[in-house]
Amino acid sequence: MSLGPLKADKITVTYGKRIVLDSFSHTFEPGKIHCILGPNGCGKTTLVKSLVARYAASGDISYVPQNVYGNVALSVYDTVALGRYDKSRFFTGLTPDDRALVDKAISDMELEALSDRIFDTLSGGEKQRCMTARALAQDTSWTVLDEPSSSLDIRHNQLTMRKLVDLRDNEGKSFIIVLHDINTAVRFADSFILMKGGKLVCVKDSLDTEVLSDVFESPFEMITATEGASFFCPL
Amino acid sequence: MHRQRDLFRLKLILAVIATLFAVAASCCLGSSNVTLGEVIKYFSGMKDELSPTVVTIIGRVRVPRVFTAALCGGALASVGCVMQGLFRNPMADPSVLGISSGSALGAAIAIVSGLNIVIIGEGFTGSYIGAIIGAAVTWMMVFLIARSSGEYDTSSTLLAGIAISSIMSAFITVLMTLHMDSMERVYMWMLGTFSSSTVAKMQVLAVVVGICVPLLIWISPRIDVLKLGKEAALSLGVNQSRTLGITLCLASVLLAFCVANSGIIGFVGLIIPHIVAFFRVYKARQKLLMCFFVGAFFMVICDSVAKTIVAPGEMAIGAITSLIGAPYFLWLLAISRIRAGRKGEKL
Repeated sequence: MSLGPLKADKITVTYGKRIVLDSFSHTFEPGKIHCILGPNGCGKTTLVKSLVARYAASGDISYVPQNVYGNVALSVYDTVALGRYDKSRFFTGLTPDDRALVDKAISDMELEALSDRIFDTLSGGEKQRCMTARALAQDTSWTVLDEPSSSLDIRHNQLTMRKLVDLRDNEGKSFIIVLHDINTAVRFADSFILMKGGKLVCVKDSLDTEVLSDVFESPFEMITATEGASFFCPL
Repeated sequence: MHRQRDLFRLKLILAVIATLFAVAASCCLGSSNVTLGEVIKYFSGMKDELSPTVVTIIGRVRVPRVFTAALCGGALASVGCVMQGLFRNPMADPSVLGISSGSALGAAIAIVSGLNIVIIGEGFTGSYIGAIIGAAVTWMMVFLIARSSGEYDTSSTLLAGIAISSIMSAFITVLMTLHMDSMERVYMWMLGTFSSSTVAKMQVLAVVVGICVPLLIWISPRIDVLKLGKEAALSLGVNQSRTLGITLCLASVLLAFCVANSGIIGFVGLIIPHIVAFFRVYKARQKLLMCFFVGAFFMVICDSVAKTIVAPGEMAIGAITSLIGAPYFLWLLAISRIRAGRKGEKL
């Protein structure tokens, strides 16, 4: 079953008296890379977690958590292969199809050389790539990534984002991605969801200095490169 | 893609053979002489060729004791393996949720109040019931506290367990101080021994282990999935609260019966999963299977030492498990660190 658009209708999440997410409504259209931007503690992670929880039963959404866990104690290959876990099967061995998907995810994230290493011995960026590969191995039409590139080097950041673009163009996959790097977002995302204080500020197809300055409460300058691409520079 | 070959089947077969060998060898050890040949004849059904005395010794004394040790060892190691996986904490072990202390308290109350003489069924004495009630009460306390926020949270479950464990231990101490006359009995039982094993007790334990361990094996791959975090696990169809609840319930039942049978035997549940991990078995289901057999093997060996080292007396099994297990574990730890250092890997 393929999920259509993801609908968030007035999602409110409170922790005790604190309102973390205040009646958030938006429809995430399929076939796009949606990028969620906003300052720390504005409810981005809460939003994506509740979206995943809402649509998890369909089995067509995968999730890359922000936190990289300790004590996983599995090899990289086995960690990625968890994406192929199917609880309806008693024997949890991989079918040839599963194996192909796991191998593909591993090579997409350039993890071949690490596939026998134990997850806990990896560096932060390697762990993030492994978690992204795990979600890709799930082969779902929606993938939600919570800051998948916060510890990545420039090359692997580009590699991860290009892979998402490639999957969108060639396999019609959809992504929701939480990012802090505005220029990565501008370069790769189709739609920008800006949040502040648990509320949706606006949804834009392209960013401008005014809205960024408002959301992040910090002035921005736009620089247009000779090729026509725009970059945002915090002042 | 080049990957290291998975030698899991070979490792498992070796563990099973080692366990069978240890069981057979341990049947030979004791105050009267039984040869390995006689034991093999007994198990292969050629009882007619043996003298009735030997059949009685093997059937009534040796077999119950050795199998009880094997079942307890396997169960404790499995519970330890499951707990360490669920809590993602290498220091978790069966005693950490307070369930061992809880069932020990229940059994101690039964012993002190003389209820252990009451026999409900063959092999099913009052102290058994006490231990099971104690485990159930502790389990409920831990979970009411841990679930009070509406969701299981592994670290608060662990903390609640540790706190409840110390309350239960304190009650045992109070009980022993107030009843000096039965103190020795309670104390010896708490240290752990397999010397009072009977056929009926062994059968009860075998049924419990035979139900709970396969169920744990069935559910164990979910423990790996939970390591990805609650939401990612949910997207794979694994509900964190439900999995934690079911798994810990099974583990508690196993633990209650082990404690009721042979007291608190520490260290096995903590150490065996780590020893298995040193042999590069990591996946939850494979690890659980290996832990069961390695735990059984280890406990049979320890029990053999316990019954021979100060013969005709008995050494407390808890002391032996630590005296044999800890140095071996430290050796493995040192070796693996040296190897990792040579390879330039961090641990």
